[in-house]
Amino acid sequence: MSENGHDSSGVVKRLGPMQTVELPMRRFNDHDLVDYCIVGVGSAGGVLLQRLARAGFKVVGLEAGPFWDTERDWVSDEAGAHKLYWNDLRITGGADALALGANNSGHGVGGGSVHWAAFVPRFHPSDFEVYTRDGVGCDWPISYEELKPYYALIEKEMPASGPAHFPWGDPHSYPYGPHPVGANGNILAAGCAKLGIRVCLGGPVAIMAGSRTDRPHCIYRGFCIQGCKVGAKQSTLISHVPDALGHGAEVRDHSMAARVNLGRDGRVSGVTYFDRAGREREQRARAVIVSGYAIETPRLLLNSACPRHPHGLANGSDTLGRYLMAQAGNVILGRFDELQRQYKAPPAHALTEEFYETDPKRDFARGFAVQTVGPLPIAMAKQFAQAKGAWGWGMRQVMMDSNHWGALALLGEILPWPDNRVELAEEKDQFGLPVAKVTFTLHDNDKKMIEFGKNKVMEIMAAAGATEVVQEHRYAHLVGAARMGNDSATSVVDRYGRSHEIANLFVCDGSILPTQGSANPGLTIQALAARTADYLIREGEEVFRPGKYSMEPPPFRKDLSPPATWGHGIR
Amino acid sequence: MKAVAHQTIGFYPGYRTINQIGYWEEATRKVVLERLGQSTALRFFTANEAPLAQAVVDRVLPQDDRPPEQHIPVLAGIDERLYSGRIDGFRYEDMPPDGDAYRQGLVGIDEIAHVLFGREFVRLTHLQQDSVLLTLHDAKPPAAAPTWHHLPADRFWRLLIDDVVGIYYAHPYAWDEIGYGGPAYPRGYMRLDHGEPEPWEVEERRYEFEAPADSLSGAFTPLGKLKRGAKS
Repeated sequence: MSENGHDSSGVVKRLGPMQTVELPMRRFNDHDLVDYCIVGVGSAGGVLLQRLARAGFKVVGLEAGPFWDTERDWVSDEAGAHKLYWNDLRITGGADALALGANNSGHGVGGGSVHWAAFVPRFHPSDFEVYTRDGVGCDWPISYEELKPYYALIEKEMPASGPAHFPWGDPHSYPYGPHPVGANGNILAAGCAKLGIRVCLGGPVAIMAGSRTDRPHCIYRGFCIQGCKVGAKQSTLISHVPDALGHGAEVRDHSMAARVNLGRDGRVSGVTYFDRAGREREQRARAVIVSGYAIETPRLLLNSACPRHPHGLANGSDTLGRYLMAQAGNVILGRFDELQRQYKAPPAHALTEEFYETDPKRDFARGFAVQTVGPLPIAMAKQFAQAKGAWGWGMRQVMMDSNHWGALALLGEILPWPDNRVELAEEKDQFGLPVAKVTFTLHDNDKKMIEFGKNKVMEIMAAAGATEVVQEHRYAHLVGAARMGNDSATSVVDRYGRSHEIANLFVCDGSILPTQGSANPGLTIQALAARTADYLIREGEEVFRPGKYSMEPPPFRKDLSPPATWGHGIR
Repeated sequence: MKAVAHQTIGFYPGYRTINQIGYWEEATRKVVLERLGQSTALRFFTANEAPLAQAVVDRVLPQDDRPPEQHIPVLAGIDERLYSGRIDGFRYEDMPPDGDAYRQGLVGIDEIAHVLFGREFVRLTHLQQDSVLLTLHDAKPPAAAPTWHHLPADRFWRLLIDDVVGIYYAHPYAWDEIGYGGPAYPRGYMRLDHGEPEPWEVEERRYEFEAPADSLSGAFTPLGKLKRGAKS
């Protein structure tokens, strides 16, 4: 047992049926001064940890949840997946209060990438200049072209399966071929064909269509969002963390960050956290990267308020916590005379982005995508409870008929609004830390988009031959709340994730997204992490010293990928 | 068509997900078997609350057509969650903690029963009980039931129904009833197209499934929603 209470003696963790990592990994002690302390080992944290370790930095990742052994800890069972989600209390309100937890927050190494459906569309070039084009939302401080090489890189590292020609946004191809299509993909294809809408089948999704090294291919069991025991679906737990450990990184699990500490020089000096036994400890670090996602990241920085920063770290502009975004995620259910058994195949396997861009013929800015989902029985029953008002005998009846139903979903762009935000609540968690309070209200453009978008998906469902079409209003994903920008008065971090106010404090996760498009955010989050890593590596020791720093784009590093990823496959 | 061998309910006669347990891996077997052997003892609900809670759950998801030995212990599942303090990661700002919401909601259901029928919920007929619950489903509890002035009926209804279906449809008996393939690791599924069954799944054989005459829940009516303004 090391001095910070972490038992790491001779443990082998199984990551899927073929891959193992052997612990002990490197263990730093509290008195060690590490280069980087990363808070949250999820989509962004996993990639950052791996890159920085490969580049030779001393790096520790604090993760509130466990380091999974997927064979032992994960189950092929819908209810049994509860522990993969962030289940600690959060307060949610506003006129359109968001359901949190299972739908949008991970807990444990890999974070949300453990239970995402793994759709990996890129953002469109237009997403980076929404304000310039449409006068809504805001522009990004970077262009699509700056992120493009990282999209291609991460698509190989995951790797992503999809068509040879993806026609929307910046057309491109995928390194692995598309997956076979399940019932919901067939429905989307049939409906779109009838209506003359282009559709993309079999991806893009970060699920292996063929085996490679220690990653098996998909077995089409449909449990993606319950954690992929197969190891076919990417999570940073299986794609990047093993390589990080192999290069000297430490992942300290069951470690809940309480606050980021400030030194006398006004720079951050480390992170105070609660260890597995509930003891308060501090990890000293020369720089801190917060990667806790769109709720825990602002919560931690708000909880880090100190005399010098009374409103929280990096919050001098009162922007921290604001501009939180969810995407409209209405689920449209359709009943078919023929059996569907839509629970098979990955939920994410077909989509159309034909309605993604602003269309002057519509009465709202920006747009939406239409995607497959794949509800398992509990999710479907909850959807029927809202979509059909089902309960009692009616619930029994419609669920007995559930194999005749197919499911599609809207993925619509809700714009960033300052009043949609994360604050601190009066309630405290088991560590005595104030929990997050999330406020969310739809604005006029959002409501018009949802109305048009859900009707379009219902039209597609009917065109596919559904005899009854119903819909459930819901949301998907969370981003924003620590957005990046060039202006320190209206953003929290700069284009590389460096906080405007404290030069050795960084944020890198979904919370830095200024807008969200109608694409699932996971790929973009991982691509941004790879780019931030390149920047930090180029800056080297300068990050740890006060003084001026460069805003020049870093050289693109292909040599930091996990083994046997970049340089393989087509392209 | 009537129920057939070992009284399978649903359109997949003879189908039993649990028969596939030999093809599941150990961790999943353990979780599903524990669910089959779950205790029905209550620790959260008091002896006074339990009969009312049971009566409510029996109407929100009736199992009158199931043989007693195949009843899915829904109330015990809710009780276990509330007793252990397990939550889904959030609470609406206008709702009390889940356990308090249940205790208040049960009081509120009896209030509605008294307003509408002049007696306790447990002493009502099934039809009357459905009438009481329908006011919550519709988010229109009678104004003379004071609990619902502070406990939002629509949120309570979703809390209740999400818990109930979350337990019922997690159970292998329910998987048999709806013809769901169940756990599928490491074997996986092979037949993704056009609703074709796996070799071990069963072809559908439909019959008329109708709600009993003394019920209201067989009709599908839109879920009620309370109006909420944006708070600053």
